[in-house]
Formats: sequence, structure tokens, C-alpha cells
Amino acid sequence: MPRQDRLFLAFVLHRRDYGNTSLLLDILGSGQGRFPAIAKGARRPRQPASALLQPFQPLWLAVAGRGEVRTLTRVEGAGPPIPLQGRALLGGFYLNELLLRLLGRHDPQDPLFAFYQSALSRLAEDADLETRLRQFELRLLDELGYGVRLDQVAEDGAPVLADRLYTYEREHGVRHASERAAGPRLSGATLLALTNGERLADGQRREARVLLREILAPHLGARPLKSRELYQRWFGSGAIAESPQRRDPTTARPVDSEEPC
Amino acid sequence: MGERSLLNQLIDALRCLPGVGPKSAQRIAFYLLERDRDGGSRLARIMADAMTRIGRCSRCRTLTESELCELCANPNRDDALLCVVEQPSEVVAIEQATDYRGRYFVLGGRLSPLDGIGPDELGLAALESRLRDERLREVILAISPTVEGGATAHFIGDRAARHGVKITRIAHGVPLGGELEYVDGGTLALAFAGRRDL
Ligand SMILES: [Zn+2]
Repeated sequence: MPRQDRLFLAFVLHRRDYGNTSLLLDILGSGQGRFPAIAKGARRPRQPASALLQPFQPLWLAVAGRGEVRTLTRVEGAGPPIPLQGRALLGGFYLNELLLRLLGRHDPQDPLFAFYQSALSRLAEDADLETRLRQFELRLLDELGYGVRLDQVAEDGAPVLADRLYTYEREHGVRHASERAAGPRLSGATLLALTNGERLADGQRREARVLLREILAPHLGARPLKSRELYQRWFGSGAIAESPQRRDPTTARPVDSEEPC
Repeated sequence: MGERSLLNQLIDALRCLPGVGPKSAQRIAFYLLERDRDGGSRLARIMADAMTRIGRCSRCRTLTESELCELCANPNRDDALLCVVEQPSEVVAIEQATDYRGRYFVLGGRLSPLDGIGPDELGLAALESRLRDERLREVILAISPTVEGGATAHFIGDRAARHGVKITRIAHGVPLGGELEYVDGGTLALAFAGRRDL
């Protein structure tokens, strides 16, 4: 029988209790894609694996089994956990939720693993959370084959210009802004900053967020993202008791709060 | 023996106990029926009572059959100290192991957005009212050092800061009598970060 204990780099995307002493994990592994695995006995007392098998902890893993659900045979830390706190931590949960919702299982997405790893490190490093999240979303869409061109107008191929206004429509992509266009309106500068992976300026963050929500929506379906909801609850200005979706009394539209997801 | 004989139903029902598989469930059922029917009857009575009458304390959310649990009703506890824990069992553990004499608040879990556990599920609005309305000297977070525990601690810390309440988190680190060599890296890193003056 072939030995199956080759170690690979991995992250836990999600964990839940399984039976009395085990964990059921959703794992993103280098060269492995996303797959479910069981860590047997990991919840017994004095099991160091339980402390390691958490989101944002780089891991060396080995697995056995050929079925849908693998069994972990080795767990080792591959360095300290990525130190995400507060907003960055919620950003990390958001990345994990996107992967869980969009990434199929057992589809090795090697570049995606490296990109996820570096996205987490960058979330931990700097305060520019929104730019990082937008870049991750665009890259994820690319890897999944849902990529969209943001640097040219879809219908005539005209290059996007920084000082012009455009709209984005789900069926048509980027269009010249016009009265009859339906989707969100945004500046060429924002589209170009997204294309070039540049830091989003203050006024561009909201435009970019609305745009990416529009692009992601058909792939995410109707179920709301839970990490997004928690973000609104956490950083909304009111007390926790207030309803999560504060609405503008004049338009009955949700108030745009400081939420990056 | 019929498929749904009482004996089979009993064995099935016993399997809801943590750590009890089909073998142990069978052993327990036979033991109670053959050797200790009185004990079994008493267990059944108290179990039925407990399952219907035990609810949550309206103040700290721990388990109790009264409106207020004993700890919340006790006038001799220090109202200026509030210890936030995840589970009712941790209240008992802290009571038994420490000389803490303040009040408690039981979350019932940790913030875990991907599992749909948010501020509502943890009663954080009730906790925030206490942060706002009570004259608290210190809020002590006794929350596990997991990623979700960290998120929960951070969330509560933010809210405490808004209300100008001092907040601390219990130290996490090397178990008593543990040898450093055998402690996992994460625990060691936490213990190192939480070092203090001798
Ligand atoms: Zn109470």
C-alpha cells in the first residue's frame, strides 16, 4: 500500500465538533484544494493538535483515505498563527466564508492557496483592509473562471479612463455611464486602481465595495454572508441591541456604515 | 425482541449521553434494570424535572430553576467585578478553584460568524446593558484562547472601552507542573507574551 503521509501546507477554513472527541475540518491545502477531513480524538484533553487546528494557523498536514472525507494522520505547526485582530480578524473570517461558499471541493487550486496565505499576512500587516479584501475577491473570481475585465468597456473595447464615469451591469460588464444604465456607477480611477492592485483612496473604497458585491452576488446566491453581518453589528456605531441593518429614514435604504466586506 | 421494545428504546436514549456509544448504552441499561431499579427510577424522575424546570438566570444566563441564580441573588458578592465565561460549567470551575467573589455573565459560546453564532446568540446586548448601567471596576474575560474566543474577547473589549470599563483577560499558558519542552508552540507564545514581573 502506498504511504500517504506526505506533508503539505494547509489552513483550516472552518472547524466543528464531530462526535464526542473529534473535529470535522474544512481544509485548504497546497496542491490539494479544499477538502473535508476528520481529526480523530483531537478534542481529548491535552491534545496539542486541537490548539493547532484553528483558522489562520499555518499547518503541515498529512492525510489518509481516498473517500470524500479524509482522515488527518499528522498535524504540525508551520510557524506562528497569523496575528489577526479586530477588523482584520473579521476580514479573515470573510475570506474563509468566501472560499467555503465559492470553492468546490477537491479541486486543486494551487495559485489560490499561495494567494490566500499572502492575503492573510497582508490583513495582519496593514490597516488597508478594504484594498486587500477587494484584491482577494477579484483574484478568487479569476481563479474560479468568473473573472471580469475592469480596464476596458465591454461593448466597444474602449480603455477605461481615470476621469470618466462608468457603470457595471451583471450581463454586460463595464459600460459607459448613461441614464439608462442600471448597475452601480463608479469612476474610471476606481476601476483602474482595482485592475492594477493599487491602494484604494477614501472615495474609491465604497465604489469598489459596491462593485464587488454586484459581481459576487450571482455566485453567492441569496444567502447573506454571515461574516458581513457580524461586521455590521460590531462596527456599527450604535449599541448591540440595535437592529443590524440600520435604515435611512428618508429612503428606507440601508445606511452605508464603515463595513469593508 | 421487537424492534421498538422498551429495552431497545432505553438503550437508544442512553446514547445521547456524551461518551456513551452503543456498547456502553447497553451495559448501563442492563445494569440499571438488573441491579439498581431504584437508582434508575430516581434518575428518570430528576432528569424529567431538570429538563423542564431548569432555565437560564435572567441576569447572568447561567443554568438555574429560579428567576435569579444563587450567585446573582447573593448580596455578599462584589457587584463591581464581572467575570465573563463561555459555559455554565466554567462558573462552577472558577467558584471551586479560585477566591473570586464577584458576579458572572455566561455567554453560552463564542462568536463564530461562519456558524451563525453572533451577538444575539451570546446575549451581548444584555452584557452591554450591564457594562453601561452597573458601576463596574473590572470585567474579567475567562474565554478560551481560540480564534473565535479571541474575536469574542475583542468584541467585548471594544464595548467595555466605549463605556469606560476596565477589562482584563485571564492569562493563558503553561499548565502547572508542565515542562516547557512539551508545551505546544502556540501555548508557549501566549505564555511568553503574557509574562509578568516577579
Ligand atoms: Zn445569575
